[in-house]
Amino acid sequence: MNITLFDTIFYLLAFLTLGSAAIMVFSKNVIYSAVGLLFTFFGVAGIYVLLAADFVAVVQVLVYVGGILILLLFGVMLSNKITNIEITTETLHFLPASLVVIGIFVVLYRVFITTDWNPVGSYNFDPTTHEIGTLLMTDYLIPFEIASILLLGALIGAAYIARKD
Amino acid sequence: MALSDIIRDNINSLNYFLPELLLTGLVLLMIIADLLLKKERSPWMSIIALIGSGVVLFAIINQYELGSRSIFNNMLAVDEFSIFFKLLFLATTILVIFLSIASVELSGRSVGEYFTLLMILTLGLFLMASATHMITIFIAIELVSIISFALVTYLKTRRRSSEAGLKYAIYGAFSSGLMLYGISILYGLTGTLNIYEIGEVLAGRDTNSLALLISVLLIMAGFGYKIASVPFHFWSPDVYEGAPTPITAFLSIGPKAAGFAVIIRFFNVALSNYDGVAEQWLALSNINWPQIIAVIAAATMTLGNLVAIAQDNVKRLLAYSSIAHAGYALLGVVVLSSQGVYATLFYLVVYYFMNLGAFFVVIIFQDIIGSEKIDDFKGLASRAPIPAIAMGVFLFSLTGLPPTAGFIGKFYLFAALIKAGPEFYWLAIVGLLNSVVALYYYARILKAMFFDKISEGVSPEPLKISPYYVTLLAVLGIPTILVGLYWAPLANLASHSVHFLPTF
Repeated sequence: MNITLFDTIFYLLAFLTLGSAAIMVFSKNVIYSAVGLLFTFFGVAGIYVLLAADFVAVVQVLVYVGGILILLLFGVMLSNKITNIEITTETLHFLPASLVVIGIFVVLYRVFITTDWNPVGSYNFDPTTHEIGTLLMTDYLIPFEIASILLLGALIGAAYIARKD
Repeated sequence: MALSDIIRDNINSLNYFLPELLLTGLVLLMIIADLLLKKERSPWMSIIALIGSGVVLFAIINQYELGSRSIFNNMLAVDEFSIFFKLLFLATTILVIFLSIASVELSGRSVGEYFTLLMILTLGLFLMASATHMITIFIAIELVSIISFALVTYLKTRRRSSEAGLKYAIYGAFSSGLMLYGISILYGLTGTLNIYEIGEVLAGRDTNSLALLISVLLIMAGFGYKIASVPFHFWSPDVYEGAPTPITAFLSIGPKAAGFAVIIRFFNVALSNYDGVAEQWLALSNINWPQIIAVIAAATMTLGNLVAIAQDNVKRLLAYSSIAHAGYALLGVVVLSSQGVYATLFYLVVYYFMNLGAFFVVIIFQDIIGSEKIDDFKGLASRAPIPAIAMGVFLFSLTGLPPTAGFIGKFYLFAALIKAGPEFYWLAIVGLLNSVVALYYYARILKAMFFDKISEGVSPEPLKISPYYVTLLAVLGIPTILVGLYWAPLANLASHSVHFLPTF
């Protein structure tokens, strides 16, 4: 098998993503989990870069790492004593759960190996921002606008729920 | 297509998008009005919402004259099918506004956000009914879900309401994730997200059936969550019980019907090919979609009905019964024929009247006696005859007994199923057996109200039912009986609404 530089970088990023995801899931300490999540986000951003999706990669870092994760950490730190709480994830159905997971894995593996995917072909490492901007204002105008209504509604709802009255 | 053509199409589409634009304008107006009226606990917000809904209603009816068209570069469709659903959703919203005005549960809460969120939710339902692109479908479903979370939690000081909202949100996030994963596999297989093009690609060449099956099953997780079909129904009893009852009533009709709109469009446009001679869709690829949905339908109604038997809380019982009814309505989807779609549409309208009615009676009793337990309903018929009799009508209709609308609705569904051929006979038998089970638990409520003695310690004097309640009961109850006797107009409307894009 011929391993190119591209493949090597991909596998490194995949390892980073999956490894830190595992730390996030299995860690008993919420702060460790959050840091694990941080590296998962970075790994995914790296894969986006590798696939020439520069804009998505930057947004991934800005929104998920810079916004959501920091918010999450603040939430954890400002909440009283949440860092020391034993998160009781008692694995109640260990055997059935693992059987289901292995079954799903086998099926998905078969799907991905046997499918004749519809690849995009070769791509260039050109900036994508201009094209994304054009598409958002033309082909995908409506989903873009619906998203703004969604955010407005979510904001109203969140403000109502969080408010004291 | 050239850039200028795309922009021109977007601008030309605005004319076809008038109901949604008006609804958005209404939402913005309500946000500003809420700021100005904040000091008073005035009924103004509900009045603005009702007037706005009236204007939107005219805009929707006007769409019939514009004709069918795909708008915003095939993102949405304006066709008889989507107009039908928009009318149903708007009717639901208007009625829920009336129920909310009367609700004691909601009094003392700030009404501004409530009605604003309700109108945004309606907008989301409109978009679900007309979406023809996986991205629009997804974002419309998310719009409906996220606003629903906030509305379910609206009684935030009540523990059960907050719990319901949190459960709903967690299940929602989970099923959205599965659906997105399915959509991504579908995109990998076909190279497009437009459901017309997905249909063309699947018709044009052989795709890996296993991959297609997995992707559609994952997508069904998102759709199934909206209609609360097995195995994505777990949220529904807790959410229905914890939410303010008007919102429960809304959730049991609006998002459910919207889920059906999306399912019918997705299966009939993206996964099947229309055969004009047989008035039948033929499933693309060699996967037997009808039998897969048939299994989901059978499991949904059986589970809903069997668990409903054990319930003591009327709201929970109605939650399980509404799971079962999603199973019945799926019977029309299973057969992939015009007649089947038509039967489902008819059933959804009938379900609108009888289910909203049943929930409304629960609201009335809950406000007066402060309980929703079957035991506390004992002897209510002698204390409040009008709501009790109305409840009888709604429950008879939900069971599907003549001469109520529910009977006609079920009749059409089973007729479509039998006509589709012997491979669906087993499903028809399951459906009939389920109706018998349903009769048993609906009868328990009726027995408690009509035949049981009033519990000791409860005063037997008559309850005061305001004329406002009686009027609303009549608005829901009379059509429930009338459609059972004379259903031609509704049947006409439903059969006109089977037409969706691409036109056939």
